[in-house]
Amino acid sequence: MNSLIESINITKKFGESESAVVAVDNVNMSIYEGELLVIMGESGSGKTTLTSLLGCILRPTSGSLIIDGTEVDYDSEDLSMIRREKVGFVFQLFNLIPYLTALENVIIAMDIAGIKEHEAEERAKELLTQVGLPDRMDHRPSQLSGGEQQRVSFARALANNPLVVFADEPTANLDSRNSASIMQLIEKLCNERRTAFAVVTHDERLRTDADRILEMQDGRIL
Amino acid sequence: MKYVFLKDMAYRRARIVLTIISVACLVALILLMGGIMKGLRMQARDYVESVEQQAETGTVWLSTERSGSTFAGFSLLNSEHLEILRSLEGVDKDIPLSPIIFAQARPVINGKETKAVVVGYQKGKLGGPSEKDKTDPNAPFYPIIGRLFQSSQYEDYRPMDIPPGEVIVDELTGLEIGQNVELAGKPLRVVGKTRGKFFVFDTPLLFMDIRTAQETVLSNVIYVNTVLVKVAEGYNPLQLANEIKERSTVRVDAHTGNQIVEIILANYVDEPMKGVQALRIMLWIATGLIVAMITYVTTREKIREIGVLKAIGASDKYVVSLILKQVVIMTLAGIILGIILAYLAAGVFPIMVVVSTSESLLVAVITMAVCLYGGYIAAKRAASVDPMIAFRGR
Repeated sequence: MNSLIESINITKKFGESESAVVAVDNVNMSIYEGELLVIMGESGSGKTTLTSLLGCILRPTSGSLIIDGTEVDYDSEDLSMIRREKVGFVFQLFNLIPYLTALENVIIAMDIAGIKEHEAEERAKELLTQVGLPDRMDHRPSQLSGGEQQRVSFARALANNPLVVFADEPTANLDSRNSASIMQLIEKLCNERRTAFAVVTHDERLRTDADRILEMQDGRIL
Repeated sequence: MKYVFLKDMAYRRARIVLTIISVACLVALILLMGGIMKGLRMQARDYVESVEQQAETGTVWLSTERSGSTFAGFSLLNSEHLEILRSLEGVDKDIPLSPIIFAQARPVINGKETKAVVVGYQKGKLGGPSEKDKTDPNAPFYPIIGRLFQSSQYEDYRPMDIPPGEVIVDELTGLEIGQNVELAGKPLRVVGKTRGKFFVFDTPLLFMDIRTAQETVLSNVIYVNTVLVKVAEGYNPLQLANEIKERSTVRVDAHTGNQIVEIILANYVDEPMKGVQALRIMLWIATGLIVAMITYVTTREKIREIGVLKAIGASDKYVVSLILKQVVIMTLAGIILGIILAYLAAGVFPIMVVVSTSESLLVAVITMAVCLYGGYIAAKRAASVDPMIAFRGR
């Protein structure tokens, strides 16, 4: 399988010298095209830090990262460009912009990437239809349920056709019915698209549908 | 999504409106302060420039040595001592010397003691309205409504001369022709009116015969405050002023009209208005600080939104431009509203306020620059938000 993102001995420490906390410790892993990768582990095991490193939000203390065949040069590269073109993010707290409608929340991701407004609007409508919100496009986040907001987040994460979507505890703030619905959405999107999904979760239900499961403990992959 | 910054502003409209109103009030204050100073400068120049215009060829103003002119200090001259000046080549022989009294006074107008400047001069010479001002719109003291005062009995200064009790006032005093002004206990009958003839702080000028002025403000002594020399055609006022200082038998100071204007501006406007100028600069800084602080506080409130934008790929430039667009809109709206407020307030202000287009443009440009600078610093700080905040909200 084609590796989209590969980490080589990647380590992230927070703090200085002896008091430093090693959040991710020498991790080697890959994410492959079209796969559903589930990252599990207890709180504080380093799951979120790892996805932040893989998604170029954090810079590693040591090690290297290869995205789409090219090693990330942290000194000279604009990491925001990687974030808008190569990866997408879904957050536990949904994090939609409160003054924008569902449609605009998806469009803004494409606006950041410089896509023309008309094209962005067409694509945003397609994505919102794909996540099951064709009739909620003009609603603001406050007018949507938690599950609906998280669906909008998925549409936003997919807006720029990323290689990988990182979802950080996407069901943690949802009730069981909405959680199940989001799980189904992830599976559906994974089957319909070639995009890989890396989902950080405690939800055991995803185990059965995952292509691969990574267990983390103390910053290491077991 | 060209207007995402406008949607954000609409969402936080209460704060935006308050910021715009704050900027508008400060801009209006800055403009009004500038307008007051401009009005004072115009009033400070007006009398001397009118006399300069009357003289056509330039003037030299004589005063007691080291008095700094009668407009800045205390000057008493006896014109008889200055007769020697008639022999100087640069002095216009048609109107060789014009004695003038220019003194602050407290006349009673409409039963109320008020401030005024008494201008005593000889009709037919320089220093106040002439016959020409009754008909010629280009004349410096035009229009004179009514008539000029009667002249004193003699051309020279004789104590036995009975001063005519007549005065010309500005129409804004509210006095009608035939009414009286009381000055040093003597009633002076209003025979004519000027329009817009003031000294600084809207102090009305009371034009009268020089003997009347001597009687009312100088206890009838036959001295004058200043003597005006009309420069002969082809002669340089500055050269004549220097020549007078050198050749005069009595020690006098001589200033050109331009120098007198500078002395008046320095003494009546620039020096006392230093504090106002400093206040204007402080208000500008306050405007920039308000915009910067509100921008900063607002961006601190939406720190997670900014973190999310950065997490989904927004560059620092994108975030800064979003915030700066809001700063530009807020400041621009504040400036426009402030200019409108200043123009409206200038019309009802108790003293002369001159808000000009050029001053408004200058204030707009400086305010925009100050606010953009403050906003830029706040925006740069906001753009430095760690996108990790999107993951855990802290």
